[in-house]
Amino acid sequence: MTTLLEHSRIALSSLRANWFRAALTALGVVIGVASLVAVTAVSAGAQKEVADSIRRLGGNIVNVDGEFITIGTRQSASDRTITPEDVAAISQLPTVTAVSPHQSIESITVAAGRNQANTWLEGVTSAYSDVQNQQAARGRLITDADVSFGRSVMVVGLDAQDRLFPGQSAIGKTVRVGSREFEVVGVQARRGSLADENLDNRIFIPLPILTRVMLGGSNIVHVDLRVESEGDIEPTIGAIEDLLREQHKLPESYPDDFSAEDQATIVKEAQRATSTFRVLTFSLGGIALLVGGIGIMNMMLVSVHERFREIGIRKSVGATPWKVQMQFLIEALFLSVLGGAAGVLAGLGATRLISTFAGWETLVSGLSLVLAFSVSFAVGIFFGYYPARRAARLDPIAALRYE
Amino acid sequence: MSYDAGPGVIELADVTKVFRSGEVSVEALRGVSFAVEAKEFVAIMGPSGSGKTTLLGILGCLDRPTSGSYRLVGQEMSTLDETKRARIRGQRIGFVFQAYNLIPRTTAYKNVELPLVYAGVPGGERRGRVLQALASVGLAERVGHLPNQLSGGEQQRVGIARALVVEPSVILADEPTGNLDSASAEEVLSILGRLNEEGATIVMVTHSSEVAEHASRIVRFADGLVVADERTQRSIVAEPLGAVG
Ligand SMILES: Nc1ncnc2c1ncn2[C@@H]1O[C@H](COP(=O)(O)OP(=O)(O)OP(=O)(O)O)[C@@H](O)[C@H]1O
Ligand SMILES: [Mg+2]
Repeated sequence: MTTLLEHSRIALSSLRANWFRAALTALGVVIGVASLVAVTAVSAGAQKEVADSIRRLGGNIVNVDGEFITIGTRQSASDRTITPEDVAAISQLPTVTAVSPHQSIESITVAAGRNQANTWLEGVTSAYSDVQNQQAARGRLITDADVSFGRSVMVVGLDAQDRLFPGQSAIGKTVRVGSREFEVVGVQARRGSLADENLDNRIFIPLPILTRVMLGGSNIVHVDLRVESEGDIEPTIGAIEDLLREQHKLPESYPDDFSAEDQATIVKEAQRATSTFRVLTFSLGGIALLVGGIGIMNMMLVSVHERFREIGIRKSVGATPWKVQMQFLIEALFLSVLGGAAGVLAGLGATRLISTFAGWETLVSGLSLVLAFSVSFAVGIFFGYYPARRAARLDPIAALRYE
Repeated sequence: MSYDAGPGVIELADVTKVFRSGEVSVEALRGVSFAVEAKEFVAIMGPSGSGKTTLLGILGCLDRPTSGSYRLVGQEMSTLDETKRARIRGQRIGFVFQAYNLIPRTTAYKNVELPLVYAGVPGGERRGRVLQALASVGLAERVGHLPNQLSGGEQQRVGIARALVVEPSVILADEPTGNLDSASAEEVLSILGRLNEEGATIVMVTHSSEVAEHASRIVRFADGLVVADERTQRSIVAEPLGAVG
């Protein structure tokens, strides 16, 4: 133990003698560890966001999409394949507790006075609020009466409201969509975003107005439905597939002209795109660490070379190969661990910047810091081993003769 | 200071050393046998290239003989591995080098302390021993100096303090005065002489017969062999000595 302390002192003093070189050498480890910390925080934040989204959007939701009819090998984007009869049949399924048919126009410019905004227009029924966990911040949501009487009413998201009526409440005001005018009856409570989709930049109108009046026809693309429990999801998906194939009279050899999926799965899939970016940053952090490690190895090799004679002297006064190895290994460890500590701090700073400026949710866990720090430790051991071994194996006579 | 050594400190029997580099091989030692008793002060002389430094390397367990036997205080050294030899170096041998070989940017105190650190002497005990060793070479005032703040003679005295601090069985000095002016050389030699009188066993390589006169015995080398082994004036004064083998 005395010698460990002793070696630490020796290592520190030799690093201090070359502090600038040491700092440059440790920079690679600093960058590597910092990016590991930041990426882990962003990653954990994103994961938390997924969990939050799923919770916010409501659990036990199945999304049915009917967008394409595929015949043979040809796939054509056809009009909506889900009929009102399909919706009625789905709501008859025993496991289904709520059905929300809806139809969207994903990008449309709407106007309020002189203000224009590009938003996402969604035609919904009263079930939408239940299935999608939608709430009113002010006013009310789309009701059964709105749907059956075909009222020209609208519920707007908070961001849509900001853009159409900056600084004002939208309630009671008029929004023009194409040639139609809608009266805003409610403002949707904040829902956040789902993957990259801002759920607060949406506007909602009764479904029949969108389908019959604006798009024509009564078929739709989306049906979201809630089931009793998580265990019902798979059987319900199976039942819907059978049901819709039968309803659509699809021959045995034809593929489905719809899809039915667990919403939680879809949310996770959506996050996968951003996780590619994270994997990339993570690998860059790894590469920085590798380069940092090689830098440490290089500096240690130079240091061993410069100190051939010193090593010879140490051996002549009783340093065993093991003790020489420890001395240089500890020196490498100091470098990488100091770099790792600085990297953890820099990583925390970077995480702060990311959440402030990019607005991403981040989550720093103690475990990730410990992990990043351990990585720097491992880098020190790994890349310090070879130079230390070289020092340990030096022939004392040759080392003492070295000029 | 006590020097732990029985009568037969060094026993060499038919030691050879061959350096091989590629095709060429050099026979630096060609069958050297001699013994050093405790409390002897032996000077080794001989022309350049006769194998003196090679011999000292073997005596100091820095190197192993190609053949033959080397016993240090009764223990065979020629078969030990590097780790065991390192421990022997740290505990039984004190080196004094021509080029002082102090560790740069490290105080006199730290330099002298180093062998004790490697020998695992507890920190509390070290301080007293280091200060005593430095005092015994007249450098009590220079404890915190760095090597480049010391004269050559002072550096060599630090080197001697470092050699004697572990109370070794033998002090091995390779031309300890080779880099020094005559005044500093005289000082270093008188310190070695005094240590010897206090009981230290010393083997010293030198080119100078004047320097060798400080020893009690001169072993002459030529071409890797011992060619003469004689006592000096000083040995007659510096009795008692055991029989010389
Ligand atoms: N590592 C080595 N490799 C090859 N030859 C060596 C090596 N070390 C010493 N020699 C050779 O061994 C012989 C003896 O060398 P050594 O250094 O022992 O001589 P020396 O008596 O100390 O000489 P000097 O008085 O000049 O210091 C020389 O011929 C030298 O060239
Ligand atoms: Mg020599």
